[in-house]
Amino acid sequence: MKQLTALQQQGRRSNSFRGASLPLDTSVDGSVKSPATIFWLLLHGFCCLISLVLGFRFSRLVFFLFFSTSSPSTTTNLYSALQTTFPSSTITSPPAVNGTAVAVGGGSRVVVGRHGILIRPWPHPDPAEVVKAHQIIKRVQREQRVQYGVKSPRTVIAITPTYVRTFQTLHLTGVMHSLMNVPYDVVWILVEAGGTTNETAALISKSGLKTIHIGFNGKMPILWEDRLKVESQMRFQALRVVRQKKLDGIVVFADESNMHSMELFDEIQNVEWIGAVSVGILSHSGGSEGVESSAVSREDNDKNENSQMPVQGPACNSSNQLVGLHTFNMLPFMERSAKYVGDRAAVLPRKLEWAGFVLNSRLVWKDVEDEPRWVKDLDEVGREGGDIESPLSLLEDPSVLEPLGSCGRKIMLWWLRVEARADSKFPARWIIDPPLDVTIPVKHTPWPDAPPELPTSGGKVISIPENTEKRVPKRSTRKRSSRSKRKRVPKVLDERVSTRNSGDN
Amino acid sequence: MGSLERSKKKVQLWKKAIVHFLLCFVMGFFTGFAPTGKSSMFFNGVTISDHQLEFSPQPVEVLNPVKTQVSRNFTTRELEQTEISTAPKESHDSGNLKKTEEVARNINGELNPRRLVIIVTPTSKRDRLRGVLLRRLANTLRLVAQPLLWVVVEQFSDSTEVSEILRKTGIMYRHVVFKENFTDIHSEMDHQRNLALSHIEHHRLSGIVHFASLSNVYDLSFFQEIRAIEAFGTWPIAKLYANRKKVIIQGPICDSSEVIGWHLKKMENLTDTSTLPIHISSFAFNSSILWDPERWGRTSSAQDTSQNVLKFVKKEVLEEETKLKGIPQEGCSKVLLWNLHIFKL
Amino acid sequence: MRSWRWVLPVVLYFAFCLRIEASKVHRTQQTERISGSAGDVLEDDPVGRLKVFVYELPSKYNKKILQKDPRCLTHMFAAEIYMHRFLLSSPVRTLNPEEADWFYTPVYATCDLTPNGLPLPFKSPRMMRSAIQLISSNWPYWNRTEGADHFFIVPHDFGACFHYQEEKAIERGILPLLQHATLVQTFGQRNHVCLKDGSITIPPYAPPQKMQTHFIPPSTPRSIFVYFRGLFYDVGNDPEGGYYARGARASVWENFKNNPLFDISTEHPTTYYEDMQRAVFCLCPLGWAPWSPRLVEAVVFGCIPVIIADDIVLPFADAIPWEDIGVFVAEKDVPNLDTILTSIPIDEILRKQRLLGNPSMKQAMLFPQPAEPRDAFHQILNGLARKLPHDKSVYLKPGEKILNWTAGPVGDLKPW
Repeated sequence: MKQLTALQQQGRRSNSFRGASLPLDTSVDGSVKSPATIFWLLLHGFCCLISLVLGFRFSRLVFFLFFSTSSPSTTTNLYSALQTTFPSSTITSPPAVNGTAVAVGGGSRVVVGRHGILIRPWPHPDPAEVVKAHQIIKRVQREQRVQYGVKSPRTVIAITPTYVRTFQTLHLTGVMHSLMNVPYDVVWILVEAGGTTNETAALISKSGLKTIHIGFNGKMPILWEDRLKVESQMRFQALRVVRQKKLDGIVVFADESNMHSMELFDEIQNVEWIGAVSVGILSHSGGSEGVESSAVSREDNDKNENSQMPVQGPACNSSNQLVGLHTFNMLPFMERSAKYVGDRAAVLPRKLEWAGFVLNSRLVWKDVEDEPRWVKDLDEVGREGGDIESPLSLLEDPSVLEPLGSCGRKIMLWWLRVEARADSKFPARWIIDPPLDVTIPVKHTPWPDAPPELPTSGGKVISIPENTEKRVPKRSTRKRSSRSKRKRVPKVLDERVSTRNSGDN
Repeated sequence: MGSLERSKKKVQLWKKAIVHFLLCFVMGFFTGFAPTGKSSMFFNGVTISDHQLEFSPQPVEVLNPVKTQVSRNFTTRELEQTEISTAPKESHDSGNLKKTEEVARNINGELNPRRLVIIVTPTSKRDRLRGVLLRRLANTLRLVAQPLLWVVVEQFSDSTEVSEILRKTGIMYRHVVFKENFTDIHSEMDHQRNLALSHIEHHRLSGIVHFASLSNVYDLSFFQEIRAIEAFGTWPIAKLYANRKKVIIQGPICDSSEVIGWHLKKMENLTDTSTLPIHISSFAFNSSILWDPERWGRTSSAQDTSQNVLKFVKKEVLEEETKLKGIPQEGCSKVLLWNLHIFKL
Repeated sequence: MRSWRWVLPVVLYFAFCLRIEASKVHRTQQTERISGSAGDVLEDDPVGRLKVFVYELPSKYNKKILQKDPRCLTHMFAAEIYMHRFLLSSPVRTLNPEEADWFYTPVYATCDLTPNGLPLPFKSPRMMRSAIQLISSNWPYWNRTEGADHFFIVPHDFGACFHYQEEKAIERGILPLLQHATLVQTFGQRNHVCLKDGSITIPPYAPPQKMQTHFIPPSTPRSIFVYFRGLFYDVGNDPEGGYYARGARASVWENFKNNPLFDISTEHPTTYYEDMQRAVFCLCPLGWAPWSPRLVEAVVFGCIPVIIADDIVLPFADAIPWEDIGVFVAEKDVPNLDTILTSIPIDEILRKQRLLGNPSMKQAMLFPQPAEPRDAFHQILNGLARKLPHDKSVYLKPGEKILNWTAGPVGDLKPW
């Protein structure tokens, strides 16, 4: 304090000195940039600062006087004061804190006894901090990948045959999400039966992946057997693209209804030329009428529970050497297997599914120096015309196959074929247009004056077949008013246009 | 310019100076009172007294001799906190906060704090596809913008299948386990959902709750859409059946985002609230309805709700159409969610 | 005019704030340890640097107690038993007391469990006293220094204060007969009567085999931001709240139960160890005592320990760079935990994780059976070796007595 007053006195002295030497108004004005003016200003600021500190210290003093009645040498707990205004609502915490609550200060004394339970007045997580925390997690995970993950990963080239149908969105979305999660570069080649469509293009454009969308001449046949052949041809077409564009990486055959574990994409990085992974076959029986269920649903409990899922893939001996391939045993299913799409019977896989193989893309390139001798030329194999069962037909000698996934002990890929009946229809791009009929009105409709019962106008507007049978006949207690219908139509059209635009891009 | 005038000016100047000093004093005084930064500010004060002896009033308190690096970081933050609490919002562009904000922006594009999405997924060990479908759903959820919390419920078992799958996903999840046995799959599923809801209630998690069945497939924009929900939201869901012709679309009928009616499968049971016809995955709601019912203008009927929270929520969705929002917002006419029905395997 | 003149004070004000920061940076740099990287001291081999003589006591001081209740092999204080076993077969052991640098008295003071399995050390003072009486009358070495070259393992809550309640422990103070000896204890808090100068702070015992079976690949993505499992309130012993954990745990719950980033609960899941391995931060708040087995678990599982215990003295603090691998949060700062943790620079977090990945750090936290190089046993010996040679002044003149054999509560003086 003494020093402070001394300082102030000093300031006063210098000030008076200044007042004598300089016209004061200029110093007030401040337009004269003499060092003296600056000094005066600095001094002023300095004194301001001192006042600030003094004020601060003073507030501490006041704080002690008011809040800490007991021990002057410890900090009082402000939170305990706050706590009375923000009592905890849980039953488990009886906060009841009063002035005697003393927190451990920054000092190193040991304070034994009761402490306040500090509860802050701002209860909800700060959104900015949540963002930061998630960024930290993201970085940590990335660091883990750098440290423990695959070093210098190769591009993943995924090949998917597809065509527009009821289940396309569902299946393709699943595969797309898998590929989007792959932490490496991905090129996704889609071969669409019957030529490329905007529907498919719109769907895959959401992925943000590098996509190559090509059309295949010829429709998707309705018989499963033909369909599998066509799909093989489609995959070959994609391989030709790989060859043409000299895409470098690892080719995976990601079929539409495959389900992938993310470890698969790490594991395939180990492939040198051609590898085989185990594929879990999820064959569904097609369902007898009535016992309908979603995936989470009843099942004949004990009988099926322990039945082993059939697995295709590499088989090894005890020293982890490839000795053969597990193929799918069709015999027990032959009689009740599905013949055509929509047949209510089990859809069977081939002996070996394409999805169970991964290739180094250089294998299909033309004229590669280090290409192994045991591989046939892509065109040669394709020209033979017939069915190309599996990528094995590319090889002279199947023993070169590299087993992946701890030699088939680990399944990282599942195969399931589910389709609706071939004649099943769905709203284009899943936009309900025209909108559905109101089957149950909301209690308080926004238009109480709407005509109560409109005669069913014309034909049914719903484009979803078999839908109507589910509807109770006394539907539409209150039909959409013509007014609202008029309102809606242009809106929907607008949306349509916009989606189409985005799809074309 | 007489000397009288001069001295007058001088006096004026002094007045000004004193006013400034006073203002600074008051400023310092209140800085000292700012609640959050209290300790650190005090600490700062002492630090100064250590280093700039000319100010030195006697230090009142002994310093903590070792301050770690982290608590140093913290004090910086605390200072910012003080600024925020004394002058909310405006002070955001000052000091270090700006830097951190910029960091957030750099990665995120822009700083828009998104609402938490809470996904509740019940799983039954009787479902043979559980592992596969769990992975598929995880692949989708991993792509959803943060923050997202996935509550997965499972019956206690020796199998580590579910926990192993979950921990490889990298998604922020809570794995809720229960011990009860159920014979009926539907009551088990409901029990699981109720457990998840009571977890949310117990933790007072604030976000949008959605029940995601394992057999669901989502368009990613779905999760962005449901973040816009204030109280309740609903949307059309497409049910796809294996080897059937039919596709059932079920859900609300909207005018813009206002729900004007329902398209439901079974209407007969409407009076019986236990089997409400609304599909479990076709609505979402603000979780605060669970732990803060007063906020939503209803008395907290704790006994009713604690028994069967799920039932309560479903009822609310159907009754509170004024707070019900159709999704997606443009007339809820786009299907963003598909539910796959496979027959018994 | 007026406005710009105000700029100066404001600028000065901020400069002032910055100055504070700068001065603080300066301070921490001063206190920061010199060897920044994971302690090289951890690699030391104690063999050849010290010799330990193990007193042979009647089995009622150790083995018999263990036979009576094998549960004490698994609780947090089991280090006293394993250390005994380790020393018996260790190459540092000498059978010739004349050449010994250190003398060890194998007393299992915390193995006398209550029927519920709680290690309440009510009889420990008497047991300890009886053992010291025995060695001082049968061997000449205790009386030479009155215990200055003897070390004792006292892993209980408040070490050699032998009480589980802090207030009572402080009241009792360190057992008078042990006031000269070197204590090896889990308890550590600066300026506490139960921690005297020269004590060696060790990690609590956590079952190494059990932890090993729960290891998951380090590539498993860490997806929990903050993890904690344990009590927030000890309603049974502290119905009012505020005594237990000095209110810090209660504060964690009240402030962060509704924060989705905080995976905190009282339920102990079967995946507890796995979950720690996929968390970025693991809370290690004090309980009744400042230390907790979570410290060990966090280090072993590579989760950055968030240490909430003011003035805690951490295990092997002279060898393990705790400031580099952990985060310290003052008890009063618990309400700001989210802000503190999210504002740590990411590079610092990654560095902490890299350091935690160092196997010697994990090894130093564990008491494996059989012992392995660089484990906690070896760190204890390293600590003892660093205290050598003993100062000449510890040796008493003939006839000199310092210890007061009749000090302490009357109850402690009763024969055991």
